Amino acid sequence: MGPFETSESCQEWKEEYELPFDVIPDEDGTIFKKLSNGWVPYTLLVGSDGKVVLWESEFEEEGFAAVVEKLFQEPTDAQAEPEAAVRAVPQRAGRGLGANIVILGGGAGGLVAAHHLRRKLSGRDRIILIDRSPNHLFQSSLLWHAVGQRRADQIQRPLSDLTRKGVEFINEEVVEIDAASRQVRTKSQAIDFDFLIVSLGAQLRPDEVEGFDEMALNLYDLEGTAKINAALDSFSGGTVGVLVTDMPFKCPAAPYEAALLVESFLRKKGVRDRSEIHIYTPEHQPMPVTGTAMGEAITKVLHKRNIQYHPLFTFEKMDPSERTIIKSGGEPQKVDLLLAIPPHRAPEVVRSSGLIGSSGWMHTDPHTMATEHEGVYAIGDVNSIRLANGKNLPMAGVFAHYEAGVVAERILAEIEGKPATATFNGKGYCWLELGDGKAGIASGNFYAEPEPAVRLYPPMHPWHWGKVLFEKWWLRHWF
Amino acid sequence: MKVIDEGNKGVAEGTLVPLDELGLPPSTTGGLLIVFWKGQ
Repeated sequence: MGPFETSESCQEWKEEYELPFDVIPDEDGTIFKKLSNGWVPYTLLVGSDGKVVLWESEFEEEGFAAVVEKLFQEPTDAQAEPEAAVRAVPQRAGRGLGANIVILGGGAGGLVAAHHLRRKLSGRDRIILIDRSPNHLFQSSLLWHAVGQRRADQIQRPLSDLTRKGVEFINEEVVEIDAASRQVRTKSQAIDFDFLIVSLGAQLRPDEVEGFDEMALNLYDLEGTAKINAALDSFSGGTVGVLVTDMPFKCPAAPYEAALLVESFLRKKGVRDRSEIHIYTPEHQPMPVTGTAMGEAITKVLHKRNIQYHPLFTFEKMDPSERTIIKSGGEPQKVDLLLAIPPHRAPEVVRSSGLIGSSGWMHTDPHTMATEHEGVYAIGDVNSIRLANGKNLPMAGVFAHYEAGVVAERILAEIEGKPATATFNGKGYCWLELGDGKAGIASGNFYAEPEPAVRLYPPMHPWHWGKVLFEKWWLRHWF
Repeated sequence: MKVIDEGNKGVAEGTLVPLDELGLPPSTTGGLLIVFWKGQ
């Protein structure tokens, strides 16, 4: 259905994509307003009884196909039964060993979960953290790295340091997660688990954008931010673009922070009056999940700093030879220096292991972070959690951090045979770096109904100092 | 991408969609897939 589209445009679309079914116009948007949450794409699956079987704000072909396939499966006796009221504690005693707890990913969530468990479990319980990277990267500091305020070695720590604290570290890539037989496999070994915490984050896919490597600098990895810093050092004026190529993306404040930090950098360098700074994003306002007031506050800051904001910029392609970016149905925009956030996808191993839901991400209980597989939890960016307002919980380290504590407590309770009562309450916060040593902070309850209740505290120096202190604490506390 | 901002929340799983009232084709083949999209 094409909301606000005509019969002609629907027909063109049908022909362009050679669709074997009808595409129906919804010219005044009546049906869209009645059934959707206002976003496109928006997908509904309606059963033969006319009832909605599934709805999804994101559309991810592979995930959706998996759900449809599952819906059409004949229910087995096990599926027809209601969920067992009590989950059995793993039969560890039979092996004469402690529990094997495997954590995939050494980002914020994995790190916190590993520590929390190690602190409270006995030595016979193994905690094994697996990551393909040898280092933990404090991602919040990447933007400081981009503007030369941090060196790479200042915002990373070796994950092998965890072994001193009793956490086993395997520096390999996980190639398979077999939730049914309770085993994960790397290229060189298979590891059984009693409990599994998937904390693999989102996989960045610049390769999905043709010309990305030739034209754009990746705002979300160390190599990219190093190149941004070098490019800014030699920048003598022109157009800087901050581009969000696709939704969702982690750290919803990042494109705005990046533009503000670059603005401050160029001003201090003395080339601001010869430069334009633009933000291009498919969002309709900054940080849309937090509500209109937050969006207006950030837009006001951008306006004051003369940063051009281009919402609803549905990026289509870039042309490195002309140095332009183009939105769907729009005119090319020339950009001399392009800082881009690449598409985010669920990690390949999660997809190939059949663990993604209709959103293309893992689905969990929003309070316990339990997946449909016994003893398997998922935390952080790898998850898609739908909020009361129909939008998704943002991808941000703060949620991975708090969810990790909840999952660790639940696993501890299960091992000790006690009721698992810890739950994630949806509370979180986010700094908004403005440059010039100032920051704002947004804090609130994202699980509040009917909308997240989030408040933005006005920008001032102490919030920036708070972020710096948090960074120092984080990198010292866990290593 | 946000197309309208009228406090819409979507329909929950289990909601009965009044196909007739909305002028949508009846679901006669076992189900109906509705994807809202926007080209521009």
